[in-house]
Amino acid sequence: MKRFFHSLLAKYVLIIIIALFILYAAYLAIIIIFFNLMGDRDSSGGQEGYEEIEENWHQEASQITSKNDINPLFEEWQEVYPNASMFWVDGDGTLNLQSNLQENLPDEWDATYTAQFLKNHYDEDPFTVVAFVGEREEEGFIVFQLPRDMLKSDGQKLNDEYGWAIIILTIGVVILFIFLSLWFFRGIRKRLVRLEEAMEIRDTDGLPILIEEKKQDEIGDLEKSFNRMVQELRESREREQEEEQLRKELIANLSHDLRTPLTKINAQAYTLQKMDLPTEAKRSLKLTSASIEDVDKLIENLMSYTLLMASKYKKDLKEIDMARFLRQYLAAWYPVFEKEIFEVDIDIEAFEQNKWKIDPLWFSRILDNLLQNVLRHAADGKYIAVGTESTEQHDAIVVTDKGKGMKVDTEQKGAGIGLSIVDMMVKGMRLDWDMDSTEKGTTIKIIRMKRVEG
Amino acid sequence: MAHILYIEDEEEIGRWVTEDLTGRGHNVTWLTSGNQLEQYLNDIDLAILDIMLPGLDGFSIGKRIKKVNQDTPIVMLSARSAVEDKLEGLSFADDYVTKPFHPDELAARVDALLRRFQKGEDSMEIGHLQIDTKSSVIINKHTGGEILLTGKQYQLFQYFLRHLNQILTKEQLYEGVWGERFMEGDKTLMVHIRYLREKIEENPAKPTIIETIRGIGYRVKQ
Repeated sequence: MKRFFHSLLAKYVLIIIIALFILYAAYLAIIIIFFNLMGDRDSSGGQEGYEEIEENWHQEASQITSKNDINPLFEEWQEVYPNASMFWVDGDGTLNLQSNLQENLPDEWDATYTAQFLKNHYDEDPFTVVAFVGEREEEGFIVFQLPRDMLKSDGQKLNDEYGWAIIILTIGVVILFIFLSLWFFRGIRKRLVRLEEAMEIRDTDGLPILIEEKKQDEIGDLEKSFNRMVQELRESREREQEEEQLRKELIANLSHDLRTPLTKINAQAYTLQKMDLPTEAKRSLKLTSASIEDVDKLIENLMSYTLLMASKYKKDLKEIDMARFLRQYLAAWYPVFEKEIFEVDIDIEAFEQNKWKIDPLWFSRILDNLLQNVLRHAADGKYIAVGTESTEQHDAIVVTDKGKGMKVDTEQKGAGIGLSIVDMMVKGMRLDWDMDSTEKGTTIKIIRMKRVEG
Repeated sequence: MAHILYIEDEEEIGRWVTEDLTGRGHNVTWLTSGNQLEQYLNDIDLAILDIMLPGLDGFSIGKRIKKVNQDTPIVMLSARSAVEDKLEGLSFADDYVTKPFHPDELAARVDALLRRFQKGEDSMEIGHLQIDTKSSVIINKHTGGEILLTGKQYQLFQYFLRHLNQILTKEQLYEGVWGERFMEGDKTLMVHIRYLREKIEENPAKPTIIETIRGIGYRVKQ
């Protein structure tokens, strides 16, 4: 129940009730005033007021016995109706006596004028009563005129004067209701817009931030459930990161735990190699060392492959000056090939668009794998070339060897995973690659397509 | 002879590396953890650190060493090869070698770092040249005469000596010696190398001291 009173629904119902109440109260007031008017009309004014005056006037007129009664009569009536005008036209047709006369009237009245006067004033404003003086109707007639306004009841006057006020009041109530509704909805709208804006804001981790819960109504509930959702998202993100971290840790630890014994074997082999041993034993030790190196590279590739498959391999794309990068990279590899007495042919020209958007570590890894393969599986050719190539469609980095080709050699199972990594990494940086392998050698190109202009 | 602090908890590997480096003429202090680190901090020329150690890990030890003395070169030597580990290591260390490794490679990297931080030998011989790095004197052993270099030539040669046995690209040389970004097509470096060769090579047409590595750059090899 308490919740209901906090709700927007309850507030809106309250506004409607208040509006209806004011509206009905206003009508009630109008009705009360109206009834008052009716009451007023009973006592005076209106049609009945006129008839009463007419009747009285006739009666008073008939009771006049002498000319001298007329003046006191006029004075008496003037007191009751200060705005009334009265006059007496005597039996000779002369305008004899007048009181508070407003109209210009002739002094002499003939039959025509009298008829004219009667015709003009019948049922017109001012209200006119004509009555013969005395019983015998020889003393002429007396006329009583009263502006019709004067005969209106208080209610009618009130209505005339304040009618507009009632209309304005009614309109006012309606406007007030509309205003209250608008104000109410404006408040809701404002809160909704603010809520929407708050929902749009993202934290550094890309998740929405918590919003302030202000009121305990429906919008408040919305805010609350939004916050709950953000909280759940955050928890799930944290869980995911934790899992990711665990996975990485596991891989890193596994790699470490595998490599440590390898290093120990390597140490033993190296120490043995230094001793005076028969040629056969030395050859065997050399093979051991080579195998250790192979296993090391395999472990590395396996770890990378696992991370790449799970899209967890750190990638940081940067604009890199490719020619400069390649020269610097090859400077580290050159001595390795030199030691194996390879013919090294390096021909790097800056590309027209020399900036490549790559992760240098990824790119180094790709080249590492390619050069590693040359060293392991194409060593017979004793040749390696790294160069650049530009055509209309693409720029490419070309690695060429003169080995026996990839398909022929059966001992290069290790190359498989290495090339899978090359494939994933090349594609991960939106580049392409192409391999052409024959018995006379292998050419691998890492290709960047040129954007078609126009 | 350099004093090398080596921290490694694996007995076999520790003994092997210590013996090998000692055999190459270095003075090696081998610890199995970072516990007694403090007493060696001020008198080492270089540190080789494993990462996974009991107590303080190699990253923390390395950062502490660099804090005490920024000029002590550090080589991380670890079986951890993840990109994240390498990035963290290289954020303060000067080199990162993964296990398993060849002792020749480790020794080469140690020598390169010692030279880069100018903690190597005071004098060295390259081909027919006898060089005293302290007094900047270069003697032609065949003639016994001193070779006099101009400022830039000496700086260039010095840069080669500090990166002995390393192949240096045009960009690295120019930016290392002139301190400005190398512009493609700039001939300044080539001109200076030609002058330098004229002074130090026995036959500048067939240089033996400053080797040209076609397509990459130059190298001075011992």
